[in-house]
Amino acid sequence: MASCGPVVVPSLLAERAGLRLNTRYLSTFLGARFLGYLLFAAVAWELGTLVSLPPAPRMILIGVIHVLLAGVLLWYAYSAGHACAQSCSGSKLVSLGVTKKRGVAGAAALGFLTGLSLCPPFVAAGVRAAELGSVAAALLFFAVFFVGTSVWFVPFVGLGCVARNEAVTTVARMAMVLIALYYAWLGLTMLLGRKLYGY
Amino acid sequence: MKLRAKLGYTAAGMTVFAALLVPFLLYGLFTKGFAALGLHVDEMYSGGPKVRTVQTAGYSIDIHRPVFPRMLQREGPFVQLDWKPVSALPAHVSDVVDVDGDGQPDIRVSFDVPRDAKTPLRVNVEALNPRYEAMRNVGKEKFSRLIVRVDDAILVRVPLAHP
Amino acid sequence: MATKARIWKPGDTVPRTIGRSLLLTLPIALWSLLMFANPQRQSNRSLQIASVITSIFMIALFFMMMRTGSTYRWRRWFFVALGILFPVGFIHNVMVMRGTMGIPIEEMIAGRTPFCYLPIPLLILPAAFTKTLVFPGSILPGGGMSGAGMAAMAGVWLAITLVVGKGWCSYACFFGGIEEGMASVPTRAKLRRIDPRWRYGPWAVLLVMVLLSLALFEPAYCLWLCPFKAVSEYVAARNTVGMVQNGIFVVLFGGLVIALPLLTKKRTQCAFFCPFGAFQSIFNKTSVFDLKIDRTRCSPCVLCKTACPTMSLTDESIARGETLMSCMKCGACVDACPKHAVVWHIKGTEVATRPERARLLFLYAAWGMAVMFAGSIIAQGLATILHVLV
Repeated sequence: MASCGPVVVPSLLAERAGLRLNTRYLSTFLGARFLGYLLFAAVAWELGTLVSLPPAPRMILIGVIHVLLAGVLLWYAYSAGHACAQSCSGSKLVSLGVTKKRGVAGAAALGFLTGLSLCPPFVAAGVRAAELGSVAAALLFFAVFFVGTSVWFVPFVGLGCVARNEAVTTVARMAMVLIALYYAWLGLTMLLGRKLYGY
Repeated sequence: MKLRAKLGYTAAGMTVFAALLVPFLLYGLFTKGFAALGLHVDEMYSGGPKVRTVQTAGYSIDIHRPVFPRMLQREGPFVQLDWKPVSALPAHVSDVVDVDGDGQPDIRVSFDVPRDAKTPLRVNVEALNPRYEAMRNVGKEKFSRLIVRVDDAILVRVPLAHP
Repeated sequence: MATKARIWKPGDTVPRTIGRSLLLTLPIALWSLLMFANPQRQSNRSLQIASVITSIFMIALFFMMMRTGSTYRWRRWFFVALGILFPVGFIHNVMVMRGTMGIPIEEMIAGRTPFCYLPIPLLILPAAFTKTLVFPGSILPGGGMSGAGMAAMAGVWLAITLVVGKGWCSYACFFGGIEEGMASVPTRAKLRRIDPRWRYGPWAVLLVMVLLSLALFEPAYCLWLCPFKAVSEYVAARNTVGMVQNGIFVVLFGGLVIALPLLTKKRTQCAFFCPFGAFQSIFNKTSVFDLKIDRTRCSPCVLCKTACPTMSLTDESIARGETLMSCMKCGACVDACPKHAVVWHIKGTEVATRPERARLLFLYAAWGMAVMFAGSIIAQGLATILHVLV
């Protein structure tokens, strides 16, 4: 909840109001996150690198994901403003892309990328899963891990009750830009192999 | 005068009265209230509570409880050891420490104690137990691996090896 | 036939009489005497002299507020003095105790990092979930630069906020005076067209900083975005990232606190960035004092909107007869209104019925807090200068 909060909260607030729509957002987000988990689990388990992935390549991988996440957040912030300018009363999630037909729900893109992002509990779960006998067992383990962590997202549904007006959506979009800058900075420092903190 | 207006003026008057009470009552009350909440400074900064003291020739080594970072904190886990008092330390310290109290040596810590308190400190740690990470010529890089002088003690934070 | 005593009200062409002004100033004068006649000040000659000067300064300003009926003009003198003298006193103390404005890691481990009120909103969620304060300070006095400790600062913040709400930003914040001073320098704004959506900036910064502080368990604003690190203290940089952090502070300070106020005549850091200000806005809902617009008198000429340093008046809010939640109760709009339509108000009462009474009650509370809290800071800064010069 704390780790995904900086991504989920502003993007949820940038969506249109309503419990139903926000539930749909979270379902899309979590579904795509689950796909990200499974993809990583299957590929890494098959390659046998889950346990032995050394820190340096892992940092580069996370760095790339963070930079992509930053890009998606910026694009989402732009798309949310564009979507609201056209019609604030719709029931569709904010799409990324030139036209709505080809657009990918922003929630899916963000969920997928956060799913790929190797946060510490995810890595710990990955190590545990790698000790299991088969890839099917590992995937099942990840599925259970996913369900367990997704329970913490339920309170975010409550954000659907927050009224959406110019103030809320502008704050949400500005927040997404700031978070995007932060992730871009994190990603770039990881790619450059620099230490993250000055103390 | 309407009731709402009366209530408004009453509240305004009470606000002025509360302003008078701030330095004599409210400030102290809120301060004590805050202090009584049972909050503590994050152990990443404070080093965690002390759990044992090892007495050696003329000085002591305080061993703290290992500190583990919160989920996304960027520091790693570590254990803090305090050598004190600095005045009783020899010019070169080299101690084998049983950190977890199981009777087996865990780490060997070596550092020089300069006379000038402002001289930067450097520490070498040899890991006799794989649970701890070795350190070579480390200064004060980050909260989870450092050697610093704080008042009359020299603090060493030894990182725990990742699982 | 005896004539009735004339009740002075804002808009009168003659100022309030000196006698009445002195009478109304008397409570503040007594309060000031009480606050500054501290036995601890007696031992330090510079502080003694500084306390007397500060006391006279605060009393004189309040007297002028009473005499002229104007609030903003006189409050601004106090606020700019606070903004200038706080860094003087603070930096001097830091240099004496530590020899550098950079906080070394050992000071943080020892819990001797000075705690100001700006990180308060960031500490709430981590403390609520884990009872942990994500700040390298001391809860109680910890010696060195930790001053009276985090509990004391939290205590004084809560006490003053309960009394003045977001008036903190006009009567207690020891940073806002710098940009208020900068905004006063030019006679006209060079940048007049400002997108009103920038007003939401502080809320976005607050949201992001609260979420990041909870996710990373660190005071994210203090580490990355606080512009006032440039005039107080900062984490000593030991590598590239540390230098980048300090560079960000300098850029933000130069831009938001110096350059933009000079160009716009607005308190741009407060209006468009400060997350603590956004947090304090919530307390405007609990404060009994606010500012209203008497629509029977309003033209609308929107001079109040132009005068407001934080863009807390819009055409829509003026039409509704009120200021926005971000109003700092500085009084600029009241003083700017030629029809005296913008008035001080006590919630629950009729708008524009005895506004001077509302103003007086508010000022007694706010100025009392200013004397108690900010006045001591001004005196410290002044004492530092006297100590160096005399």
